[in-house]
Amino acid sequence: MKRRLFIASSLSALGLTACGPVKDSLTNGPFRNVLLSTEHLNKAVIGTHGLAREYKDSDVDRMFRVNGLDTPSDSAYAALARGGFRDYRLVVDGLVEHPQKLSLAELRAAADKTQITRHDCVEGWSAIGKWRGAPLGTVIAMAQPKANARYCVFHCFDTDQNGTKYYESLDLHQAAHPQTILALDLNDKPLDNDHGAPVRLKIPTQLGYKSAKWVSRIELVADLQPIDGGMGGYWEDQGYEWYAGI
Amino acid sequence: MTGRRVYRHGIVARTTHWLWALAMLVLVMSGLQIFNAAPYLDASDKSNPARRVLAFDAQRAADGQPVGTTAVFGHTFRTTHLFGYTDDGMGGESARAFPAWLTLPGPQSLADGRRWHLFFAWALFIALVAYLISAAIRGTLRELVFRPSDFPKLLPMQLYYLRLRKDPPPHGTYNPLQKLAYTVVLFGFFPLIIITGLALSPSVDAAVPWLTWILGGRQFARTWHFTLMALLTGYFGTHLILVLTTGVWNNMRSMITGWYVLGDHDGVGP
Repeated sequence: MKRRLFIASSLSALGLTACGPVKDSLTNGPFRNVLLSTEHLNKAVIGTHGLAREYKDSDVDRMFRVNGLDTPSDSAYAALARGGFRDYRLVVDGLVEHPQKLSLAELRAAADKTQITRHDCVEGWSAIGKWRGAPLGTVIAMAQPKANARYCVFHCFDTDQNGTKYYESLDLHQAAHPQTILALDLNDKPLDNDHGAPVRLKIPTQLGYKSAKWVSRIELVADLQPIDGGMGGYWEDQGYEWYAGI
Repeated sequence: MTGRRVYRHGIVARTTHWLWALAMLVLVMSGLQIFNAAPYLDASDKSNPARRVLAFDAQRAADGQPVGTTAVFGHTFRTTHLFGYTDDGMGGESARAFPAWLTLPGPQSLADGRRWHLFFAWALFIALVAYLISAAIRGTLRELVFRPSDFPKLLPMQLYYLRLRKDPPPHGTYNPLQKLAYTVVLFGFFPLIIITGLALSPSVDAAVPWLTWILGGRQFARTWHFTLMALLTGYFGTHLILVLTTGVWNNMRSMITGWYVLGDHDGVGP
């Protein structure tokens, strides 16, 4: 009998990258600066309006691979999941005129977008899923962002073993991209807990780690610096790039 | 002719030569670090085990000992301690495709590997563009580019290398095999490894979808990118052997100072 070791190893790889911020002065200095310049060049040359390729129903992976971690252990999440997410409310607040508390029924009413797109993980693998949900731009517009709002921050029901909360962020331009959605369904069924139930972000124009699962609150802010590690996301605080289009 | 000194390599050619030597080394090692995060290659768009061409894995044998395996087109080889289950850069061994002594950084760190890789990708690109512009202006490209008229000279040149023929066929500064190798690397491998790398970026894929499509899809682009790395590594090995066997000091001097002494090895060098 042989037992596979790589499943354990890919988890330990995640654990290792989570061990602490990138310490190397080169990778944090010139290398990072060149990447940031690449991001600007990228925007200037090819723009950010391009659409990710959309596929046919027959291309879909029925067993869509779970990215990142599986079901979070947060007690608040467990309680909501037990109640079938009836008490779930998506909070949209921060720099907005009209803070929102949206039930799943209200989100479903706005869920008019279906896309079959490829999920490209930063690790290198790809999977195709059919996602249905509400355009993020529509949900943000309901709350009417104030003029100084520049980013939306996704706070998630997901705390790692060190007590760090998972979060992600996009700028309002990326948020308004027509393929950036708050997904409720995967492959014609409501999201299961491993895949980010009840609401996850899906942004097919960037790498998979941007598509935050288990979103509980969307906060509009002017600056990402004051939040947690200050780099704009859980993985970003560990050395991954905030702009994940490269 | 023999013994005469010629100024063979201009400052741009020499600088870019060493720059892409460094860039290639870093890109290969950091690329293997990135590869280790998903240690398999598929000839498909999305990941598809049915179309897997290369896979590394680690398993536990019946006696409890870890076994590293490498599967090439479905043929599995035991490669414990080298690939699959190998040096993890932290004083031990663990399940990882390429050993820490071949990756940059050594221990598993995808985020660091990406930063090294994308920084030196720019170094490679800049070196290539600078060299091509300079070589076009200096006229080196004319001497270097393989032409259809070089085809009949390939076999005699190969026979000469194999010592089965006394004299090389008549040629200019570079012999027909050198011209073929340099042309394939400069106008084939280098541009293609840059293009296949670009095709892996979601934003590039969204802006230029046909690029990923003609490569056979995203995972296929990753497979091409890896294959080109292997081809360039093979080229580098051949290059190194020729540097060492055709007058290593003369070759090194010419690539450092520019000055080359014509002699026995003229026209058969790296």
